Amino acid sequence: MRIATSTIYAQQTAAIDDQQALYAQIGQQLSSGKQLTAPSDDPARIAQDLSVRTAIDTTGQQAKNVQSAVSELTTTDSALSSLTAVLQSARQLAIQGSSDTLTAQQRAAIGSQIDQLLQQSVAVGNTSYAGRYVFGGTTSAGNPPVQQQGNPIAGVTFGGNEQEQGQLVYNGQEFALSTTFQAAFNYQASDGSRDVFQTLIALRNTLANGTVIDQSAASINRAGSVVYGPQGLPSSPAPTTLGTPNAFAVAPVADSTGNFSLNISGTVNGVAGMATITLAPGAAIDDGVAPPLGTSLVAQINANTATTGVTASFDAKAQKVVLSGTGSFYVTDVPSPGAANSGNLTKVLGLATQADFVQNVSTQLGDVDHVLNAVLGARSVIGARIQALGSVADQLQTAVTDTTKVQSGIEDVDVAAAATRLSAQQTALQAAYSTTTRLESKTLFDYLS
Amino acid sequence: MSFFGLNVIGSAVDAFQQAANTTSDNIANVNTPGASRQVVNLSEASPIVGSPGYASWSGPGTKGDGVIVDSITRIHQDSYDSLFRGASASQSYFDVQQQQLSAIQSSFGEPANGVNKAFTDLQTAISQLASNPGGTSERQGVIAASQAFVATLNRVGTAIQSAQATAFAQASTTVDQANALIDKIAALNGQIRASKAVGDNPNTYQDQRDRYVDQLSQLLSTQTAVQANGSTLVTVGGRALVNDTQAYHLASPVVGTDASGNATLVIGLQGDPNPSNPAPVAVGSGQLGGYVDVYNKNLTPYGRKLDAFANATATEINRIAQAGYDKNGNAGIALFQPVIASAAITAGNIQVGVTDPAQLAGALASTAAGSLTAGMNAANATVDTAGALIGNTAFAHPGAAGPPTTGTLTVLVDGAAQTFAYDFSAGGNAGSVDAFVSSFNAAQLGVSAKFDATAQKIVFARDPNNTGAAHRAAQGANATTPDFTITDANAAVGGSQGTPTNSLLEMLGASALSGVKQDSTNAFGAADNGAANAMLKVFAKNAGAPALQTTAGNLAATVPGSVTVTGASLQDFAQIDVGQVLTIDAGSANQENVVVTGLNRVTGTVTFTAAKAHGIGFAIATTPAQTLAAYYGGLVGQLGTDTSNAITGNGAQTQLAANIDKVRQGIDGINLDEETQNLIKFQNSYQAAARTMNVLDQLLQTALGLIPGG
Repeated sequence: MRIATSTIYAQQTAAIDDQQALYAQIGQQLSSGKQLTAPSDDPARIAQDLSVRTAIDTTGQQAKNVQSAVSELTTTDSALSSLTAVLQSARQLAIQGSSDTLTAQQRAAIGSQIDQLLQQSVAVGNTSYAGRYVFGGTTSAGNPPVQQQGNPIAGVTFGGNEQEQGQLVYNGQEFALSTTFQAAFNYQASDGSRDVFQTLIALRNTLANGTVIDQSAASINRAGSVVYGPQGLPSSPAPTTLGTPNAFAVAPVADSTGNFSLNISGTVNGVAGMATITLAPGAAIDDGVAPPLGTSLVAQINANTATTGVTASFDAKAQKVVLSGTGSFYVTDVPSPGAANSGNLTKVLGLATQADFVQNVSTQLGDVDHVLNAVLGARSVIGARIQALGSVADQLQTAVTDTTKVQSGIEDVDVAAAATRLSAQQTALQAAYSTTTRLESKTLFDYLS
Repeated sequence: MSFFGLNVIGSAVDAFQQAANTTSDNIANVNTPGASRQVVNLSEASPIVGSPGYASWSGPGTKGDGVIVDSITRIHQDSYDSLFRGASASQSYFDVQQQQLSAIQSSFGEPANGVNKAFTDLQTAISQLASNPGGTSERQGVIAASQAFVATLNRVGTAIQSAQATAFAQASTTVDQANALIDKIAALNGQIRASKAVGDNPNTYQDQRDRYVDQLSQLLSTQTAVQANGSTLVTVGGRALVNDTQAYHLASPVVGTDASGNATLVIGLQGDPNPSNPAPVAVGSGQLGGYVDVYNKNLTPYGRKLDAFANATATEINRIAQAGYDKNGNAGIALFQPVIASAAITAGNIQVGVTDPAQLAGALASTAAGSLTAGMNAANATVDTAGALIGNTAFAHPGAAGPPTTGTLTVLVDGAAQTFAYDFSAGGNAGSVDAFVSSFNAAQLGVSAKFDATAQKIVFARDPNNTGAAHRAAQGANATTPDFTITDANAAVGGSQGTPTNSLLEMLGASALSGVKQDSTNAFGAADNGAANAMLKVFAKNAGAPALQTTAGNLAATVPGSVTVTGASLQDFAQIDVGQVLTIDAGSANQENVVVTGLNRVTGTVTFTAAKAHGIGFAIATTPAQTLAAYYGGLVGQLGTDTSNAITGNGAQTQLAANIDKVRQGIDGINLDEETQNLIKFQNSYQAAARTMNVLDQLLQTALGLIPGG
């Protein structure tokens, strides 16, 4: 067939262009390691590639979120673990302190240990993770949510809220990242039971103050009657005496000698002292006469203040006898000299005794157990969440690995195949070069003489 | 013996000289584009009266009187021209497409550095915010990712626009080139016609003209017809460009609009009565066709889809941001805002509206505490959510003592009221707490309900992710307030626990509800991650076009038939196309799917035919079929396919054009070896003729020598 001379050259040029383009393309694939560098490289799979890339990034972030959530929950868990330890220590101390062989001083020492535990529990309440207070709810981080009132601590205020922090959403499941202050500390419980702080404060106060209930637990008068002190109006009856019938909530019963006898054990400047006062039948609650002349209960107790550190007064308004000591003290009914039994003066006056104290501490042990259970409940919830999130984290990590494999399958070049194609292409290109140069050297003009 | 022998051989010498000259012209033009080989047509000269060839003794006409040059003609097959020009036009078309699309593909930067990456980063940042919603650095991270997302959208949007500007400018230049060629062809037609008229063979002019037509074919799809007078009629899409010596020029391109209101690059003819939007010339393929199609069929839809993607993303995120509260307890502001406030958000018209991390809306309104004045249960009982509302003794209000058992809740969101009809009789849509919660949520009124087993309350919360078409239409493109209220048409009795009531709301523990905003002051928490989690749902949710709400003014028909809805804005139409399926009155008894038959983005008109009657205020929405990321992935896939097709087409058409040209050149091209052979042939013939002449001369000399004294 006939062929135009220019066609031969055009053909060769086009062939070499094509071969070079292919050669360059394979070369680029090999050097970059990617066969998909632009959408036109594989339009059918580019959309999949984009979603796979998105999946890798977002799943990776979810995995980080879950890990951070697990860290936060672990922080919460260890905080609750400390709180458990605090409460268990408090429980042991309470059992120790309830022994009636202890002196007031020894109890006070235990009380100060409870105070340490109380401070520790406030610190636990203010545990933070990454700038957030884990028990603070969803309020903005600012001041620690748990603030102590008074020194020693008389109470706490909570500045946070009772919302569980951030919900981590994964596959439609919601995971709370914290527990509430109420759940962890039994704070403002719906059943009205004491929270951790109230429990510890009560326990500390009970122990630190020895047996003292420093005023009568209740009004000493019987309903409908009034107990009169020395400050009665001129028209008032004379001060109520122990013999006054029906005036007291608890009817006074004297011991076998007809007297009322009371033992006061206290401390003055750290030195223990004990005094026994004995009141004759008909002695007034408060005759307003100063010791040593006064024969009333208040005067007699005040007569021994130097020994016991305890002073007494009658609060007419509250209808109570108020005792206050310079240190720990307790009162006990004792028989008067020569008597075979004790009277019931502490009951009449509503004062706590050693037996009441043991009873009191035992009740508080129940409170400690109650909050301990609440804390353990909160811990078990946190533990379950950590476990659930742990398996989610595993799933996410696996997903990232799998998706990365898919991306590699779409984007990465098969190096062996590409290298083979490169060398085949190289051969073809060389053949094209050599053909071109040979064609150029042959024309009929070469043979014209 | 006569001089005629010399005359005869003399004609041969002349003819071979002519032939050799023609061969040398061929050799000279071996590299000239468009040159056809020319051949000398020789024929025997007829004997003329009185010549030896006509002598009676030799039988007149037995032998001729030498050779004569009949004509010098070019070897050319017009049929291959049109084949070649078709392939050449296609090749130029795909070449332009490949260049333009490869450039725009680079601007997209996919898969490594494009919008997808920025979109993923935004999602990642929001995911991080969800894990620590109060954190300033996480909030800052979302703002930074938003800025990067916006910057990438701007970059790609601008790249599409500048690619369109480039296509426009290139089309202008191409039109100028075409017009110059049209002039040249018309001029050559004149010269060819003049030559032909006097019987000449204007080979060179014809070659030049064919060459110019070839060149014109690279610019647009030409059809040619050789006329009887030798001129060529050149037409494109049925319109004459060159008729005889008359040239018809193309007009400079203008950007007009098509029936759907899309920006369209139009090439018209000069002298069109409407130069601003002329009747388009179907330029077919060729470079000009390439630029026109890249502009109209690639760049414009890409831009529109990217705008729709940007708009839908911004709208969805903003809906949540504006339905929430920021860290200071103020109503959230839109995260994405248009640069030009009056225009809709597009890829080019978008910016980040939040710079202060504290202003990022992170919390959603809810009635989590306080609004429900009491728990639903009586005393310390527990509500059995599956149990009937009436007769379930656990309820504080046990339901109606008598009829009616139906009523209506009015939900007010963003100033738009929607109603929820309830029936708390057995089997009704609110027969139990569970039934109420699920049917209330299914109504998608912009507020969701959830039973809180701990508090024994139903918690209502703002639902910015709401996909209900009616609600979205009522709400408009953007949420405006995070608050909501719910009221009950049945009056509350307000009595003590256990008193029967017809008010469903009261049975649930409240006489009326209003959304309680969440902020640090009312202890709900700037740290609450409701909004961040809601934003995350945007990425997983199927997105469709925003719902359109028809209004009394633009409703053409409430009876079955063709309906035209006007007055919608550009962004409402971003994802709507002719042929697309729209859903009318989704979720209601009148729900039906219609196909868009007409669309004008400029006037904001969409036309379709409804089979059912729809009342004033019906809502229209596209069926959400894909996520935002999938929508964008589809755009990139389209871009990849288009580019790939252009590359493949370019290769195939180049090959095809080369093959056809090879055949064409095989017929009319110049082959040096052939010409060399011809040259040798003519040289030898010339030498033979010259020697013959020499011999004849000697014969004559011999004869003359016989003359004495010679």
